[in-house]
Amino acid sequence: MIRLDFQTPLARFPLRITADLAAPVTAVMGPSGAGKTSLLDSIAGLREIASGRMAIDDDVLVDTAAGRRTPPQHRRVGYVPQDAGLFPHLTVRENVLFGARGATREVGHAIDVLEIGSLGGRYPSALSGGEKQRVALARALATRPRLLLLDEPLAALDVSLRERIVPYLLRIRDEWSTPMLYVTHNVGEALALAGEVLLLESGRVEAQGAPLALLATPGLSREARAGIENLLAGEIEGHDPEGGVTRVRLAGGLIVAVSIVAERPVASAVTVAIRAEDVIVATEPVRGLSARNVYEAVVRGIERGPGDAAVRCAIRPELPEWLARLTPAAVAELGLSPGSRVWLAVKSHSVRVASAPPARTARAADLGTSRA
Amino acid sequence: MSGTRRLLGSVVLLIALGAGSPAAAAEITVFAAASLADAVSEIGKAFAAASGHHVAFNFGASSDLGRQLRAGAPADVFFSADRTQMDGVEQDGLVRASDRVDLLSNTLVVVVPARVPRRLQAPAEIASFDRLALADPQAVPAGVYARQYLESVGLWAALQGRIVPTLNVRAALAAVESENLPAAIVYRTDAAVSSRVRVAFEVPRSAGPAIVYVMAPLAAASPAGRLFAEELTSPRAARVYEKYGFLVLAHR
Amino acid sequence: MPTREEWAIVLFTLRVAALGTAIILPLGVAAAALLARRRGAGRTVLDTLFSLPLVLPPTAVGVVLLDAFSRASPLGRWLAAAGIRIAFDWKGVVLATAVMSFPLLVRSALTAFEEVDPRLVGLARTLGCGPLQAFFRVTLPLAWRGVLAGTVLAFARALGEFGATVMLAGNIPGRTQTLALAIFHETQLGHDDRARVLAGVTALLAFAALWSSEAVGRARTRRAA
Repeated sequence: MIRLDFQTPLARFPLRITADLAAPVTAVMGPSGAGKTSLLDSIAGLREIASGRMAIDDDVLVDTAAGRRTPPQHRRVGYVPQDAGLFPHLTVRENVLFGARGATREVGHAIDVLEIGSLGGRYPSALSGGEKQRVALARALATRPRLLLLDEPLAALDVSLRERIVPYLLRIRDEWSTPMLYVTHNVGEALALAGEVLLLESGRVEAQGAPLALLATPGLSREARAGIENLLAGEIEGHDPEGGVTRVRLAGGLIVAVSIVAERPVASAVTVAIRAEDVIVATEPVRGLSARNVYEAVVRGIERGPGDAAVRCAIRPELPEWLARLTPAAVAELGLSPGSRVWLAVKSHSVRVASAPPARTARAADLGTSRA
Repeated sequence: MSGTRRLLGSVVLLIALGAGSPAAAAEITVFAAASLADAVSEIGKAFAAASGHHVAFNFGASSDLGRQLRAGAPADVFFSADRTQMDGVEQDGLVRASDRVDLLSNTLVVVVPARVPRRLQAPAEIASFDRLALADPQAVPAGVYARQYLESVGLWAALQGRIVPTLNVRAALAAVESENLPAAIVYRTDAAVSSRVRVAFEVPRSAGPAIVYVMAPLAAASPAGRLFAEELTSPRAARVYEKYGFLVLAHR
Repeated sequence: MPTREEWAIVLFTLRVAALGTAIILPLGVAAAALLARRRGAGRTVLDTLFSLPLVLPPTAVGVVLLDAFSRASPLGRWLAAAGIRIAFDWKGVVLATAVMSFPLLVRSALTAFEEVDPRLVGLARTLGCGPLQAFFRVTLPLAWRGVLAGTVLAFARALGEFGATVMLAGNIPGRTQTLALAIFHETQLGHDDRARVLAGVTALLAFAALWSSEAVGRARTRRAA
């Protein structure tokens, strides 16, 4: 449990944060300049706060009233910045071992999980963006931190690289019990990783809650305007070359037809991504529709934002809720409300096959094929 | 000096006085040995007040001044502490032999800081100082004279390694005033103007080298400059020199 | 060509410049490290203080040094009692050149330290380093080329120092006479030809020193990882 109750002046406004964070991963979101990086810097001890209190579980990091300020080197907070921040004059191995007390088992575990063992003797200038981020993650983990702070760790990477790192982050979440504070602009990342979202605006907490629930708030919906993806884990069931379709089986037995990806072997684990904007909602079963994927569902909730509506639908209890993005006019015309019975339609072309799913599943060994 | 010359001088002075408006005020440049600083400044100030001309001084080691003149520095009057430097300037055609006047003499003294006064009983005791400041004995008149004296009493060989050469005689004096060095050989007239040194030993005139200060207006001097050169040889000036302890060899 | 005595002067000049530079290296690095950590009024005061010898006329610095180390001052008397001579001694030459070169080293080192990404230093802190550790493990290794360039620059300055040296140490042939002082002395004596020979040697040394400083500095910008 991370308890924050402090304030400190920034350039344009004061940073005033009062929040208790209990989720394993909390996504920190908000517009540029809202104070997200300053929040991380304050928790890490790189920015001195003016007044207030900060604690991780029973350990008080800062209590200005009691005159107590733990210096950064004793806070045991790991920091992964946007550009990895590797020390250019040290090799990968030296970077990873920088804060660790020798090559412990923890360090070896981090190297294994992040798959950077082969990079040991190289210098940061010889690494790709994805490799740098993984080394930065290993470096932070090697110190056995109590809290991991990640500042838009995927922002500097291109899209395909980004989705290769997400599984590593999920592994870290699942294999280390280290809580994470994850700054991101990408709503999809937040939805995939975070149990809770902290939305900042001008230095204050505008909202705090479950990611989907917050989607309607203006702050988040602005971010979401770029697009929200439904991320679903599954495995390849089979290919139909003539039909141009590959079938993916999701949890609960649901089949999703995607445009043929013959290079992926049958039974290999995949993540599929469906943009909320591409989900069509019907109030009656549809006949003669070109879309290959039609599912019956129940509306669980509608989050309304300015000129926008996100409809949460449940297809199966084992599956996460699907998000469909509609105009308020459509919602009104269809008379949608929680409990409404709907049919969701998605073209196979609208389903994107992303990368491998988290190590949690029994398919962990197959991850060897996914090299970033 | 003949009565006619004196009359002529006064008339010229009166004319100069009469023409003492700012537009007619001339700039006179005087290069003079460092040891003459106090005396010549006093004479110059009085002259400037009376004549309305402006007198600018460049006091320094005569060797340095001679070098500057020979390199082309403009000046009206050169007042050197030895003949050698004046010879050099005359050789370059900057001074006419007939304009030269052997004007003053001086004596050498050994000085120590006022805080630790000492009196030497004999010249040999000079060798007791672990270091001795002299105006550069290779070039500056005061230093050259001092070396000549030390050679004459057989002390130069022993002291040579302990000499600290300074830029000019006043710098040697200053080194002792500030107690940076235990002793220096300077002119008696220098010791007289400083309250922070004491004379430890006076070189008798008979034992010391012949010290001669030579003054001359430069060949290219302005009329006002020549006027000041005249003033430097006047009885009025002679009284000032004597006040400071110089020996006056000649005056009008 | 320089005579044997003149080569001795060259050697003496190189030695005092090297000694002076060696003394100010740790001091300059520490001073720059101190400055790099501060902001605001405190830093301005320190920065100005350290930069004074750069801006003041060397003779002014010489006067200050002479006052500080003369026998009339408490420091001077204490040193004299301990048998240590500074004024009119080769140690005075080292001191004068060190003081005059100090600001150059500090400035170069400071620039080098400030070029190090502060976020890297911050990351080192989160990885368990105290401020001093972070300095030695991150800042200094990344800034060493700038410090080296500054050191060579300071050495070049020390080679040519005149004003403060002549005031504090005097121009004593064989004892405190550096190349710069010797050039001056030869002109005083009217030996312009010797002065030109010495000036030529000084120019060559200064050229070599400055070129090395530039070369190191260039290598540093090339390697910016």
